[in-house]
Amino acid sequence: MTGAVDDYGRLIEAVAATRDRDAFARLFEHFAPRLKAYLMRAGAPPGAAEDFAQDAMLTVWRKADLFDPRRASAATWIFTIARNRRLDALRRESRPLPAPEMSLALEEPEQPDALVSEAEEAARLNAAMSELPPEQLDLLRLAFFQGDAHSEIARKLNLPLGTVKSRIRKAMIKLRIALEPLRETP
Amino acid sequence: MTAAQHNVSDERLLSYAAGTLSPPEAVVVATHLALRPRVAAVARRLQGVGGRLLEELEPQAMQPDALARVLARAETDSGRVEAAPPANDMPGLPEPLRRYGLGPWRWMGPGVRVRDVHAPRDGDCRVILLEIQPGRQTPRHTHGGVELTCVLEGAYATEIQRFDVGDLEEAGEETLHQPRVVSDAPCLCVAALDGQILLDGWLGRIFQPFVKL
Repeated sequence: MTGAVDDYGRLIEAVAATRDRDAFARLFEHFAPRLKAYLMRAGAPPGAAEDFAQDAMLTVWRKADLFDPRRASAATWIFTIARNRRLDALRRESRPLPAPEMSLALEEPEQPDALVSEAEEAARLNAAMSELPPEQLDLLRLAFFQGDAHSEIARKLNLPLGTVKSRIRKAMIKLRIALEPLRETP
Repeated sequence: MTAAQHNVSDERLLSYAAGTLSPPEAVVVATHLALRPRVAAVARRLQGVGGRLLEELEPQAMQPDALARVLARAETDSGRVEAAPPANDMPGLPEPLRRYGLGPWRWMGPGVRVRDVHAPRDGDCRVILLEIQPGRQTPRHTHGGVELTCVLEGAYATEIQRFDVGDLEEAGEETLHQPRVVSDAPCLCVAALDGQILLDGWLGRIFQPFVKL
């Protein structure tokens, strides 16, 4: 898994460095069908999802030099491109709404010590995710792909809102992505 | 009054990472993250979850000519995209706000002025900058919808909480709002406002006809 992720990162770097079309083709083969699936999971028809995947991959080509393998895996970087365009793509048919150009560099100026180990971080996250109970993983998928608020997830799954909240909360704590510990720090 | 940091809620951060937050709210959350590196690190980890979930999706076959079409578009492309130059006259703003144009300052009561941030709107929801002089408070108002506020300079306090630079206040419909600036310098905030603000109290009744916020 980690090896494959690193590989895609190198392909993006090759696109950035030499406009390498073979490298791009390999990225396309892997990610375009997943980007299409991503928008279809959000409720888009196949044609719109096809356009979305092509547009997102063109963005990968154009912005490849913004990719920094020390800060994100290839999948995370491409996911960020997809999520930045998601609302726009889903709303295009009803009314146009430009998405805010959120930074592809993933926002924040990095603390030097936080740069240490993207690979470690990714490996840790992968391990933690494969240990999540299926019902917690399902809720994360709903939040990420369907874009549901917690109350909508509760309605769809016919679960009490409190149950949904606590399952997502547990998942976030296991993945060490919950903010709560920070809240207690002045 | 609590002195704890006010960071974005887990639920809203999850929506932000997933790209499902409304664009005006996303601009305010991005500003909050720019001022809170530790929270931004959590957001980055959440995006890692998104990347991992993307990897696990069942692939959907693309059209046979999809790659050729994208490469043809790349061909006509001038190449890399230059970063847009900063678009406004307030160099002290956090990076997520530097790229948007700003409207003129408008008076909104004694010691209070606002200007539009030309970020994408979402229906009635839009982004504004709000500047309040020390000791002043905004006219008392209730919210028609969600209000997200991030403090950029100075500090304000409501009846029960204090908000300093970087803090994010997430107010809902139920919140009755009367923040007062408690810093020595003016307090500058960025906010995503949904719906009209309903001013109340005697000050509100005087200002309501003039203030289109």
